[in-house]
Amino acid sequence: MALLKVENLSIGYRTAGGMLKAVDGVNLSLEEGRSLGLVGESGCGKTTIGMALMGLLPPNGSITGGRIVLDGVEISALDEEELRKVRWSQVAMIFQAAMNALNPVIRVSAQMTEAIRTHRPDMDEQAIMQRVEGLFNLVGLPLERLHDFPHQYSGGMKQRAIIAMALALNPKLIIADEPTTALDVIVQDQILKETKVLQEQFDIGIIFISHDISIVAEVCHDIGVMYAGQLVEAGPAQEVFFNSKHPYTRALVGSFPTLAGPKSKLTPIPGEPPNLIGAIPGCRFCDRCPKDTASCKLEPPKWQEINERHWVLCDHC
Amino acid sequence: MSQSHKDILKLEGVSKFYRTRGNRYRRGGGTVVALSRVNLSLRPGEIFGLVGESGSGKTTAGRLVVRLEEPDEGRITLDGVDITHLKGGGLRDYRRKVQMVFQDPYQSLNPQMTIADAVAEPLITNKVGDPADRLERVLGVLDTAGLSPAEDFIYRFPHQLSGGQRQRVAIARAIVLEPSLLVADEPTSMLDASYSAQIFEILQGVRDQMGATIIFITHSMAAARYLCDRIAVIYHGHLVEQGPAEAVINSPSHPYTKALIDATPKFGRCEGVPTYGTYLPAPRPAGEQAGCPFFQRCALAERLLCSATYPEWRQVAGEQVCLCHFAAEGGQSPPPPEECRLGG
Ligand SMILES: Nc1ncnc2c1ncn2[C@@H]1O[C@H](COP(=O)(O)OP(=O)(O)O)[C@@H](O)[C@H]1O
Ligand SMILES: Nc1ncnc2c1ncn2[C@@H]1O[C@H](COP(=O)(O)OP(=O)(O)O)[C@@H](O)[C@H]1O
Ligand SMILES: [Mg+2]
Ligand SMILES: [Mg+2]
Repeated sequence: MALLKVENLSIGYRTAGGMLKAVDGVNLSLEEGRSLGLVGESGCGKTTIGMALMGLLPPNGSITGGRIVLDGVEISALDEEELRKVRWSQVAMIFQAAMNALNPVIRVSAQMTEAIRTHRPDMDEQAIMQRVEGLFNLVGLPLERLHDFPHQYSGGMKQRAIIAMALALNPKLIIADEPTTALDVIVQDQILKETKVLQEQFDIGIIFISHDISIVAEVCHDIGVMYAGQLVEAGPAQEVFFNSKHPYTRALVGSFPTLAGPKSKLTPIPGEPPNLIGAIPGCRFCDRCPKDTASCKLEPPKWQEINERHWVLCDHC
Repeated sequence: MSQSHKDILKLEGVSKFYRTRGNRYRRGGGTVVALSRVNLSLRPGEIFGLVGESGSGKTTAGRLVVRLEEPDEGRITLDGVDITHLKGGGLRDYRRKVQMVFQDPYQSLNPQMTIADAVAEPLITNKVGDPADRLERVLGVLDTAGLSPAEDFIYRFPHQLSGGQRQRVAIARAIVLEPSLLVADEPTSMLDASYSAQIFEILQGVRDQMGATIIFITHSMAAARYLCDRIAVIYHGHLVEQGPAEAVINSPSHPYTKALIDATPKFGRCEGVPTYGTYLPAPRPAGEQAGCPFFQRCALAERLLCSATYPEWRQVAGEQVCLCHFAAEGGQSPPPPEECRLGG
């Protein structure tokens, strides 16, 4: 049984201009201990999916269709009370370090013990403290910094603390939303490598959200490419990266420079993504697509099977 | 150097210090050395990359070059003219020739101003042309900056534009006076990859068509390789390696340059890029003030020498130079044997 199944998920935000369809008909599936990278440019709906998996959509956002099933439990049907039991203990989220996921006026040790205490009334204070120290060792934070305030940490240390918090209750699924975007290259590289080791060691499922396909390709087993609220290509990382089918995926792969090989011209993607308020009849990418045909504008594209595990949402691939 | 007379911009021994107030965690306050004894020369029409991690002093260097700030030590010259301490009218004239594009396109544009007004502002401040001329120039640079048809953009406000579009407006504004030197401070770090490829193209266009010299500030070795003719690597305010982009990236000499290359995502696209492993995962205790700036992180450091003595610039190959005691022609010579390293 898959650890996570997202079936035909649609999410809307009520806005002054009307309903904004942030996520539209997304299907995902994740086995225990596997990692799935969600990539796409900002505004394509990645964080919205992550928040829905945590049951943390903002008040103006709601699931308008489909369902989320985590380890056999339909979490999209749970009420807030039931969600609180699942959140952090079954599914945890790592936010961008820059997003101040840590409370600046509470010592890191207190924030971590508190998180464990709320969910584990069975554990005594000594056991909780031992757990926190274990987590510090796990993510490579020095124990003597345990009682610091978050602002005394560097960006990389903050991110390690956030990872430790996510691991605190042994969740089966971790959603990492741009976990290293605000970090320097060397620290980013260290944290990505360590996260990968932890994931394998504890058999955690990871959804890794990033706008950078080169990072996702390096850390994830599978990749899902999103565009304007839809999944447009999905498959094993190798396949999606080296045998990209969707014109958007190809453009993404071709849009960042590399360290070696010929300095081939990058492929900028002209134009801007569509407005997500209101109906979009045809393919969402057609305005920016080199393959754009008359039918693309009118008919929504259908999923094509490239092979058993590699799929693309395009009628002309 | 034989080419020095052709250099457009020269930094000689430039340092910048910031005084900080002390707090509970940083004893007594003190001085941050943002930039230390930096020497740089730019050739006309080149794209010069300044590569380093955050806090290494890149923005400080940019702000000194456009003279938003004054250096505390050293000298800056443009076309042979000393501009280190320019003031008043002289500084205004200088700023016409030297412009900067900032990292954050969400903060660099005035939200109350239309795109046309924002781009025309430098023309008005400098009393260039009449309204009709100005509009024509504004449309021209918007087009150069990839915002076309330009007529569609001029009456919009920044909040109606995407981050990528805002950054292109910022570039248009910076090039409207046809500067001879443009400092682009991590212009793509806050943008999606699809936009950054466009920004790279526009910067290449600014160089190729307007003949501007560009300082491209970045934390990405791959971006520097793509865009730059020459690069300098900066660590904690100190330049540590300099040379043709291709040489520095293909055969890096400084251990820090190697660490940056190790940390760059390579997924499948970079066969043959070796791994160097020169970066200590946990810093060793600091050396003396006068020692090598990379001592704490350097796996190759020799304790007695590197902790106490500032390295000299050494030539590695051609124009590639490196600030390391162990740099040698043709690459990095092996560090001394382990037993020598433990002395002291
Ligand atoms: N609270 C909200 N109210 C209204 N619209 C929102 C809200 N949060 C996100 N959106 C919109 O939903 C879309 C998807 O956003 P998001 O999930 O944050 O994308 P990503 O994480 O891929 O950048 C965007 O168009 C964004 O503007
Ligand atoms: N106005 C300032 N006051 C105090 N310290 C500063 C100021 N500006 C920069 N610094 C410090 O100078 C160093 C270099 O900063 P900066 O030039 O912004 O680096 P970069 O652009 O490479 O990230 C950092 O340690 C930074 O904290
Ligand atoms: Mg997001
Ligand atoms: Mg900076």
